[in-house]
Order: sequence, then C-alpha cells, then structure tokens
Amino acid sequence: MFDVMFAALGALVTNPQTMGLMLIAVMIGLIVGATPGIGGRLSIALAIPFVFGMDMTQGAVFLLTMHAVNGTSGQISSIMFGVPGDGDDAATTIDGYPMAKKGEAGRALGASITASGVGGIIGAIVFAVMIPVLEPIVLAFSPAEFFLLAILGITFIAFLAGGNNIFKGMIVGLFGMMLATIGMDPQTGTARYAGDYLFLWDGVSLVTCVLALFAVPEMITLAVKGGSIAAISMEGVKFSYKQIFQGVMEVPRHWFLALRTSIIGALIGMVPGLGGSAAAWLCYGHAVQTSKHPERFGRGAVEGVIAPETASNAKEGGSLLPTLFFGIPGSSGMAVMMGAFLILGIQPGPAMITKHLDLVWTLIWALVVGNLIAVTFLLFITRWVAVLTFINATMLVPFIVVLVVIGAYVNEGQWENLLILLAMSIIGYAMLRANWPRAPFVIGLVLGRIAEESLHKAMDLWGLAFFTRPISLVLIGMIIATIGFAIYRSRKPNVLDNLQVSA
Amino acid sequence: MKHAFKIFSLALAACAATQAQAADEGAAFFKDKTVTYIVATAPGGGYDSYGRLVAEYMQRNLPGSTFVVKNMPGAGHIIGANAIYASKADGLTIGSFNTGLIYNQIVGAQGVKFDLSKMSWIGKAASDPRVVVIASQSPIKSFAELQAQKTPVNFATAGPGSASYVETVILTNTLKLPVKNLTGYNGTDDQLAMRRGEIIGSIASRSSYSTFIENGYGRYIAQIGGNDKDVPQLSSLVKDQKALDLIALVQSQGDIARLTAGPPAIPADRMKVLIEAYKKAMEDKELQARAEKLERPVEPAYGEDVAKAIVKALNQSDETKQLLAEALKSDKK
Repeated sequence: MFDVMFAALGALVTNPQTMGLMLIAVMIGLIVGATPGIGGRLSIALAIPFVFGMDMTQGAVFLLTMHAVNGTSGQISSIMFGVPGDGDDAATTIDGYPMAKKGEAGRALGASITASGVGGIIGAIVFAVMIPVLEPIVLAFSPAEFFLLAILGITFIAFLAGGNNIFKGMIVGLFGMMLATIGMDPQTGTARYAGDYLFLWDGVSLVTCVLALFAVPEMITLAVKGGSIAAISMEGVKFSYKQIFQGVMEVPRHWFLALRTSIIGALIGMVPGLGGSAAAWLCYGHAVQTSKHPERFGRGAVEGVIAPETASNAKEGGSLLPTLFFGIPGSSGMAVMMGAFLILGIQPGPAMITKHLDLVWTLIWALVVGNLIAVTFLLFITRWVAVLTFINATMLVPFIVVLVVIGAYVNEGQWENLLILLAMSIIGYAMLRANWPRAPFVIGLVLGRIAEESLHKAMDLWGLAFFTRPISLVLIGMIIATIGFAIYRSRKPNVLDNLQVSA
Repeated sequence: MKHAFKIFSLALAACAATQAQAADEGAAFFKDKTVTYIVATAPGGGYDSYGRLVAEYMQRNLPGSTFVVKNMPGAGHIIGANAIYASKADGLTIGSFNTGLIYNQIVGAQGVKFDLSKMSWIGKAASDPRVVVIASQSPIKSFAELQAQKTPVNFATAGPGSASYVETVILTNTLKLPVKNLTGYNGTDDQLAMRRGEIIGSIASRSSYSTFIENGYGRYIAQIGGNDKDVPQLSSLVKDQKALDLIALVQSQGDIARLTAGPPAIPADRMKVLIEAYKKAMEDKELQARAEKLERPVEPAYGEDVAKAIVKALNQSDETKQLLAEALKSDKK
C-alpha cells in the first residue's frame, strides 16, 4: 500500500512533463474559476480534444487538476466585488465582501485561498481513507436521506437571519423555495409558472439569481455612495503581505472548523445527487450555527469565508470517488470528467483498485499538489489584486456590471436570463436597503429543489415509512435539535453568549 | 450604379451556372464563412462531444470555413431544436438534438415550434440501441421472468416528456409488464438507485449503461435495434402486433441517433456541399477512432436517407398515435 502510495508521488513530481502540464492546468483552472458564469464543466469539455492521444496518467492529471482548482479562484471576485462566480461562491460573498468593505480584502483573500487549499488537501485525504468503506456509505444515502439533509440545511436559515430577524429570514427563505418550484415538475412533467417560456422549464438560473441578489445591489450602493469598495483610505491599511499572512493564519486559528467543514464537504461530494452548491451552503450554515457569536456573520466574520471555501474544494476529492470506483459520476462536472477518462482509456469501476491503484494514488497526489500550486500562486499575486478594492467606484462599477451581465448570459446562453437579472436585482437592492438577509434566499432555492425532488422519490418508493429508516431518524433528531436550539437562543440571547458550543 | 452592376453580374453568373458549377459555388459560398453548430445540451456529455467532433471534422472538409459550436441547453433539447428550426436557411446554422423529439412532435407536445419533416437533414452519426436492464441483485434473469413477476417491480425513468420516459411508458404499457415507473431519475440517478436496490430496472440507451454492465452491476435482458449478439431482440420475444409496431418505432429512434440538421429550405447547392463535408468527416479514420473512444462507434447515414427515416417515424398510424398519447396521459398524476 505505502510503497504504491509514495511511488506515485515520486513519479508525479519527478516527471517534468507531468508537472508542466499540471502548471498549465492550474493556470487554466484558475482563470476559468475567476470568470463568473463559466463553470468547471465547460473547461473540461473544451479541453477534451487536447487529451486525445495524451498518456493516460498525464491526461487524467491534467483534467483533474484543472477541475480541482476551479473553486480556488472563484472567491476572488466574490470577496473583492461581491460578484460570486457561481452558487458555492455566493456563500463566501456574505462575509467576504463586508471584509473587503472594511479594507480587509487582503486578510479575507489570504484566509479564503488558504482555506480552499486546506479543503482540497483534506478532501484528498478523505478520498484516500474512504476507499475501503466507500460502497456502504454512498449506498446508505437514498432520496429519503437527501430530503432530510435538505430540510436540515433549510433549518439553518434560522441562524443565518440572526436574532430578531428570524421572521424576515423565514420569509426570504420561503421566497427562495417558492422560486425553486418554477419549471418542469420532475415527477409529473407539468410546466409550473413557466407557460410557454421554455427557458423557465429547467428552473430559475441559480447563477443569475445569485449575481442579481448579491453583486448588483452592492454595485448600486457603491455607485450611489461613491468612493471605493474599501471604506477606508489606502494609506490607512498596512497593505502588504503582512495582512495577507494574517488571513492565512486565520485558518490554523480556526483549524477545528476548517477540519469539520472539509470533511462535511468531502462527504457531500461523495454522495451523488446533492449537488455542489449544497456543500458550501450547508457548511456556511454549520459555521454560523456552531459559532459563539453568530451575530458577527454577514458583517465580515472570517469563519464565514473559511467554511464555504474549505467545503467547496474538499467536495472535489469526494465527488471523484463514486466516479472512479462505481463509474457513476457524482456531479455534472464529474460526468464530463468520466467521459474524458473513457477517452483516455481509463475504465472507471471497482477494478480501479485492483488494476490501476497507482493511477488512483497519482490522482490523489495530483489533487494535493495542484491545490498547493494554486494556493501558492494566488497568495503571491493577491497583494496586487486586493488593491482593486481601493479604486474609485466610477471607474470600477461599469466594468463589474459588464462582468455580471456577461456572467448571467453565458452560464446558460439564454438572453431571457437578463430579464431575470433585472427583476431580481430590484428585489435584491430593496432587500439590501431594508436590511433583510439575502443568504436564506439562496439556501431556499438550492435546497428547496433537492427537498422537493427527493421527497417525491422517497414517497414513491416507501410512502411515509421512509421517515423510519435509521439514518432518517438520526437526521430528524438533528433537525429537531437545530430548531430547538434556535428557539432557545432567540429567547435567551445572553445566556447563549457564554455557552460553549461544540460540533 | 454600383448596386445595379452587382445585380447584373450576379444575374450573369446565375445564367452561366450549370449543374456541375452549382456545387462549386456552394463550396465557394462557405469560404471565409462561419458556420454555427448548435448543440441542444450544456457542454459535456454525449451530444456535446459528438457535436464538437462533427463540427471539427466538417470544418476540415469545408475549406475556408470556420465552425463554431454553440450550446443551447434547456427544456429537454426543445430550445436548441426550436433555435435551429427558426434560424436563417442560408446553410450557416446547423446543429444536433435528441432524436426523441419525434415523440414530442407526434403527440403535439407543449413548446414544440419545429416540424422535423421539413428540416434539412444532413446526416446521422450513430445508432443507439435501447436495452432493458435489470440490476444484478434482482433474481430476474430474462425477459420471460420479468413478465412473470407477480408484484410490480420498480423501473426508473427521467421526467415525463423526456424520450426515456415516453419509451419506457409506451413499452411497459403495451407489453403489460408488471412494472411501476418511477419518474425524476435524471442523469445517472437511475444507476445509483439500482445499486442501492430501490430500483430494479430501466429501459435506456445501451451506450449509457455499458460501463454499468461492464462493472457487473446489472444485466441486459432484451434489446431493441443494434447488432449485438449478447442479448435477445425484444421483437423476438413478443407476439402482439401492436407491441411490435411500437418496438419498431422505438428502434427507428435508436437507428438515427446523433443527427445533424439545418432549418427548412437550405438552398440545394449548399446542402449538397454540407452533406458532402459531413460524409467526408464520417469517413475520416481519425474521427472514427475518436468516436470509438467515446464508446459511440460511427454508423453514419446521409441526407435523403435520414430524411426518409424521420418522415417514416413521424407517420404513425392513428392507433399508434393514440397509444402514444394514452401512454403519456395515463401515467400523469
């Protein structure tokens, strides 16, 4: 076991050609990740012609590294301009952008980039550890468990809204869940609230909603207010690697949180069907729920940056597991990856362990090394990137609005999404002005769909008996505990401040 | 004045053109032009990889042209098909979508704004036979054993309106199989559910299940179309004529997979050039090798042949149409 493990690492890092390909892959992955609206799936699809004829190992390493570092650069625009690249990055925006407004863009980026790297590496470790027990764990999660997991995630809204805003949070969350019902009913095939507008059949675009709700309102505010994103002058901040280093050190300071959210992220990635954005949002909710000072979230809490970033990178390692060992991809990105693996002559399935163990280890190491390269590179350039938050709004806003519009369009290539962008932006701005929480909306939209679909499936399969499955009972217990805790906290806020909360 | 001269010279050119020259002109037309190849799905996946392959090799065989792939996903390929149908018939927009849209047109489904019988058919690249798959944990070993089940077994299918749903429902209903169809299993959800044991079987395209079967997670018990010898043809297991008609309809879908078409009434000379380029692309050894690696071997047909097959599939007897519509209605909740 160990000889194969380290032989694979040795072979990976001593082969200059493979390392060169990895460098290129990291750069492409970071650029694609930093551009709103284009996902990792597109980059793999476009890279497929280049891997025809590549060596099996090199081709797989190339594609995997490119995909794995995608989430690492997505947070840059989320933190600096409040422009999330996709659904996962939106979770980072909630605390990352307020940090940038306080002039702490460097610290936020340092923390989030490091968190991404740590998440990616822990995800790779979870991958390695889980190989022997993969089958029972993955197969234990059925639509019944998906439904309850989604409900558990939705209950986190109670914490996200913060103290007195709990009703506002619920209203916003329900609004998100309501929009999640737009589109083709997955069970009956009826077009709901969509009529003949075909673009609505697949539901409201998540990326468009996220851009409209988070990016546009912030840009309007900035344009109205004038000045720059960072509310303090540049001279006021010691803008250097020192601030970034402070951010980096936030991750070891919150090591236990980072560890937990990485593992949760990897596990969610491992179980096909929950989707990528669920990992980041569940972990953000987890961070708020377990914090001693949940009221700091949404105003620039560094934990709110660390949790979603670790989760979104850790899930890559997780989602590779069912793809590689069952031949059943865990996400749409992994489905494309599996197509590419077949082209390279890799036949995913249980035989991977017996026939291609060296390749499996090479891929695990590629996740680790790729993440390290990405983190080092990004930390190095962050200093110059973060300066952008001090640019005057009149120069910055037009560029970002263009970026937002392009992002909303290219994601699905449908111009109608621009109308949704406009409508949702108005709602988003109103929410911002009236000081309503916006995060519950995304949770409602992301998890509402999963909840509905899995409830239908579970009812079809087992009827109401699905509530009595063993894991279901555990999840129901967690949901009740979460709600009870929320009620308790809203009644006795002072007591809670002194309460030690652990996972 | 310039304008008049242009018209005059064009008229002169038109007069001088003979049949042979027409094709040359068609070829000359595509020089320095950009052809948009619409793929009716998101990037990644079978339709996208096939579309990109076809576009790349058509470009090589159409000197001076540039092919650009444009993904137009949504509404189960209907958005993409509508877009191709509504595009300008100048030969500069063509594309690919699921052959299963034939069903949508037959039953007059919501959202359909195309008439497949009028489209300009360039060709099809593959055959995608359908299979009846049973999970390996199940004791059901053959089609006869499936028919003999006393209590209904769970079959998975994608959402109503999808080709997979239509085929599963019409086949299970007319064959009176003891099957309960559960909907909403998109992508590879059905394979995972079969691994968990909640779902016993599925009717799907063989290519989507090849890895699953190779890994020993399930077995084929019947097939529609294709030349594979490892599993009996469904038509050999069934006697009822109504059922045989529907099996033939499903088979015609599988036979014309991965198609390429343009909007109605593309000028004949340009169509000739496009079909020629498509044919050369399909005959290219390199393309064949690459398609093989995608686990989708090339089995091409061109122009008129494809058009005829499409028209034939659309021209169903009123009885079959009735069956299709009923099958679609009876399972709606």
